[in-house]
Formats: sequence, structure tokens, C-alpha cells
Amino acid sequence: MRNFVAIVFDDSRKAYEGLHALWQLDDGADITVHGTGVIHRDQLGHIQVDTKDTHPALGTALGVGIGALLGALAGPAGAAVGAAGGAGIGAATGGAVGLMTDLDRADTREEAADETGFVLGAGQSAVIADVSEDWTTPIDRAMQKLGGKIYRRARSDIRDDSWFSPEYPYGYYLYPYEYIPPTYPL
Amino acid sequence: MAQPATTSPKPVAGTEVEDAIDHLRSSAQELHKAISDAAAKRSGATKADIAALTEKAKTVAQSAKASIKAEHGKVAKQLTDAVSHLEATQANLSQSAKATGTAFDTAVKKVLAEARASVQKISEAVAEKRSAAAGNTK
Repeated sequence: MRNFVAIVFDDSRKAYEGLHALWQLDDGADITVHGTGVIHRDQLGHIQVDTKDTHPALGTALGVGIGALLGALAGPAGAAVGAAGGAGIGAATGGAVGLMTDLDRADTREEAADETGFVLGAGQSAVIADVSEDWTTPIDRAMQKLGGKIYRRARSDIRDDSWFSPEYPYGYYLYPYEYIPPTYPL
Repeated sequence: MAQPATTSPKPVAGTEVEDAIDHLRSSAQELHKAISDAAAKRSGATKADIAALTEKAKTVAQSAKASIKAEHGKVAKQLTDAVSHLEATQANLSQSAKATGTAFDTAVKKVLAEARASVQKISEAVAEKRSAAAGNTK
């Protein structure tokens, strides 16, 4: 099944460990990763996206688009499996725990990005990934081991959201390979 | 709607699929990486960079074409789509070599998008093969 997954960590180093673990799962053919990105929320509440600074025109859209994506993943339709949560490994459906955004109020990308604040606290980081997974256990187990809280939503649901229009091409900032900026050596 | 997560036991058969498509995917990932690295250069990509990338895109496209023959169904369709995107990558690289200023930026943006789309299609083919090898239906 094709899913978008967001894993929230308390700090950026853990987030990059999570990113690396995801690609390791891909190497082992446990899952197939189509793209990953890492975002941070600074102390002022701003969402920052780690990119290679590829293109100014892309750069302007990144913060809002990826923030909205996280809001969508963590909305009431999404499901969370957290390190401190009660949902069991491999049983992400319906066992939502933790703070959720209210997607009904998130009618626009900007509002959804605002709602992201409920999921990604100041100083926290999140890995966003587009994956194919036949079962959820590999990601759940690996990320819980690192202390990550997992939000998951079917890719088809994300694409159906009316506020998620093509002018925010999220595919552009989810790198199709393991990209770790030099400032975050593991 | 919440995703219907499966609680089925881990598929064991064929989970270490490593074949030509995996190698093709690695090559396409390398191509995208090289393009995005070149685009991120503060001084801008040079003509030599673009020529090298065009050659690399051509090589990956040829490998993808060769892989199609050994596949069928969805996987073959995804690889065919990947070839189209790789050819578009080549074409846009050629455009970027001739362009300057805003036209260059636009061409680079298209190159990145096409290269990204090619990796995406190959990655989907890999997922399809892995899932099939594991005996699962999507």
C-alpha cells in the first residue's frame, strides 16, 4: 500500500537517524521509499525544510507545502502510533493517539500548515516519507525504537484533499534517495 | 479516511529482490542527485556539467529501455513512463545548455521535475516487483 508517513522526533539528530533507518528498510526490501524530507520547527514556530537549496522558485513553496502535508497526515483521518501511545505495532488503524490537527478547520494549505503546530512542537523535527509498504510493522518498530511518533495516511487520501493543489508539488522536496545535509552528520 | 493498516505477518518470500530494476533505480537516483547538486551550485551549473548530465541521462534511459523487455504488466508500463521522463530530462538539459537567465531557471526546474518523475516511476516498479515477489496483492 502506498502511504505518506510522518515521524515526529524531539530533535533533528533523531530525525536523521530515523531517515537513515527508513532507507535501511528500503535496502532490505522491507519497504520501498519513494521520497523523504526532513522538517524542523524552530523556537519561533517557523517550519524549516532541509533542502539542497536547489532553486529559488521551489524554495518559496516548500515551507507552506510540506507544513500542509504534515497537517494532512496528522489530521483526524490519519493515524498515529507513538512511543508513548497505546496503539500496538502494526495496528495503526483507529488507534490514534497524541495531539491531532482538526482537518475540518484546515480548509487551506496555510491553515493546515498552522495546524501542524499541534503536531510538531517548537524544537521538534519530523521525517516525511512517501512509501510503499505491505505491512506497517517495519516502520513502526524501527521508528518507535528511535522514539518517534508515527502518523500515516494513504497517499490516495492525500491527493484527494481539495486544498492540496498541484502548485505545491510535494514531490519536489521529498528527495528520492537518502539526503542528509552536511550539517547533520550521523 | 484512515489507512487500513495490515496486521498480516511479514511476507518472507522474495523480500531481497535485487535485480536489474534495483540497479536501474540506483542509477536514476544518482542522476537526480547529480542534477540537484549541479543546480544547487552557487555559481551555477557549467556547460561541462550539463553535457555530463545529459550523457548520464541517456545512459540511464538506455538501461531502462533494456529493462522493459524483461518485464510485463504494470512494471513494464512504469518503466516505459520512466523512459519518457528520462528522455524529457535529456531534452530539457539540452534546453538549459542554450538558455540564460530566467529561461535557464525554468529549464532547470523542468529538468529536476522530469528526473524526479523518472525515479518515481522506477521506484514504483521496484515496489510492484517486491510486493509481487512477497506474494502480496496490492
